[in-house]
Amino acid sequence: MLRLFVQGTVVRCRRLHTTINQLAKESGQEMPSEPPKWTPESIRTGVIARKRGMTTFWDDHGAMYPATILQLESCQVTANIETIRPDNTVYHAVQVAATDRRWKTTTKQMRGHFAKAGVPAKTIVKEFPVTKDAHIPVGTTLSAAHFVPGQFVDVVANSIGKGFAGGMKRWNFKGQNASHGNSLNHRRPGSTGQHQDPGRVWPGKKMPGRLGGERITQQNLFVVQIDNKLNLVYVRGCVPGVDDAHVLIRDAKKNMLQLAQQNNDKGLPDKVLPKGLVTLPFPAGTKELAKSLPPVVAVVSTGRSPFLPYTM
Amino acid sequence: MSCQISRLFLRRYTSEAVQSIYPFSNNVKTPPAPILNPTRPLLNGKGLMAQLYKSLPSKHTQEMLGTLFSRRHPNRILPGSVLTVTSSQAPTTFTGVLLGIRRRGPGTSFTLRNVIQRTGVEMQFFVGSPHIKNIQVVQKATNISGKNRKGGLRRAKLFYLRTSPDKMSQISTNMKS
Repeated sequence: MLRLFVQGTVVRCRRLHTTINQLAKESGQEMPSEPPKWTPESIRTGVIARKRGMTTFWDDHGAMYPATILQLESCQVTANIETIRPDNTVYHAVQVAATDRRWKTTTKQMRGHFAKAGVPAKTIVKEFPVTKDAHIPVGTTLSAAHFVPGQFVDVVANSIGKGFAGGMKRWNFKGQNASHGNSLNHRRPGSTGQHQDPGRVWPGKKMPGRLGGERITQQNLFVVQIDNKLNLVYVRGCVPGVDDAHVLIRDAKKNMLQLAQQNNDKGLPDKVLPKGLVTLPFPAGTKELAKSLPPVVAVVSTGRSPFLPYTM
Repeated sequence: MSCQISRLFLRRYTSEAVQSIYPFSNNVKTPPAPILNPTRPLLNGKGLMAQLYKSLPSKHTQEMLGTLFSRRHPNRILPGSVLTVTSSQAPTTFTGVLLGIRRRGPGTSFTLRNVIQRTGVEMQFFVGSPHIKNIQVVQKATNISGKNRKGGLRRAKLFYLRTSPDKMSQISTNMKS
């Protein structure tokens, strides 16, 4: 049985992970006094929120757009993970948990896990891969201040289940004629293959089956507003899942992380972050940070008004 | 071109003031919070959407939603009324019969129908839109009191007016008289 906490070394085992805080205490290292700063190479943690519903917003030009309201419900850090992969690269992650639950209904195993982190029992526990500088002290409460209006996020949730769906719904099949002599075959898939050669149906043939209820990532959603009092993040557009479902929100891989790294490498500091953004709360936007910020922060619309005629 | 330059100047001038309040972005504004001391149920999402539906629209919109577009207010607009909407977009004024109100909180909208130069025209207006300046009731719908709806319009949505020009002209003659 491998001892988890060996002084000064990281466990070289794929299945077990170490908690960075514990390691630091064990080896007697001092925690860095200055908080780490965001760099274009950094990857921050995400948060777990709940989809509360949708509403309509009008931007400064007067154009209408839909927005989804996501609320952070006691989202706390429960562990910092550092594991060595078989190819000797190090995997860093921050484990986050959200939505308190009754201690009595929590399993003994999870009770121990939450007790070690010093947080109340939670309903959902998820992990976000980060860079080494983005670890957060265990027990920190994350808030809506983690996101900046004007940035892009990816939102991950389980889509609404559609049950056993037919070909037209599941695979956008065209169906057949509604009339002109068609009998009993209006929405059926039709042919499923060729003839004697190959004489079978290809594996993976699109057919009716269960649709929905699976993990979906909606990418590059624009954050339009944050509410530091109610812990709300307003994102433009739709988000998978039902109301009150748990969603994972993290910085957009394409429009934020990738662009930041690439533009930094190219030497274009103005394009590293989206328009108007100066920096991001690093390593995370905590409850304490939210208290020091204005209660509601909203983005100012950029660009031309769509209502004005186009002039050279 | 000059307005672009002045806009750039304004952004730079305000950025320092904004950055002292909010250091992460230049391009933000800080509207007033709907609730400064939220209760525990609100923080857990209970009653949150109802509260936000009331507090997110602008004051002007909230007034209209509370009086003209509410379900029970004595001054509410009934389908069959003739309204004039003043807007900052073209057409700046539009008059028509209210066909129906689509109540969706901040996204509440209504459609007006009119016949202009022998062409039926319908327009959908959103109550929350900043373009809408004023909604004026030109003529109230036939009085519908209590349970008895004698001689009055008995529908929430008057889409049947699209295929009955007689009833449309009836409303217009009522208006003139």
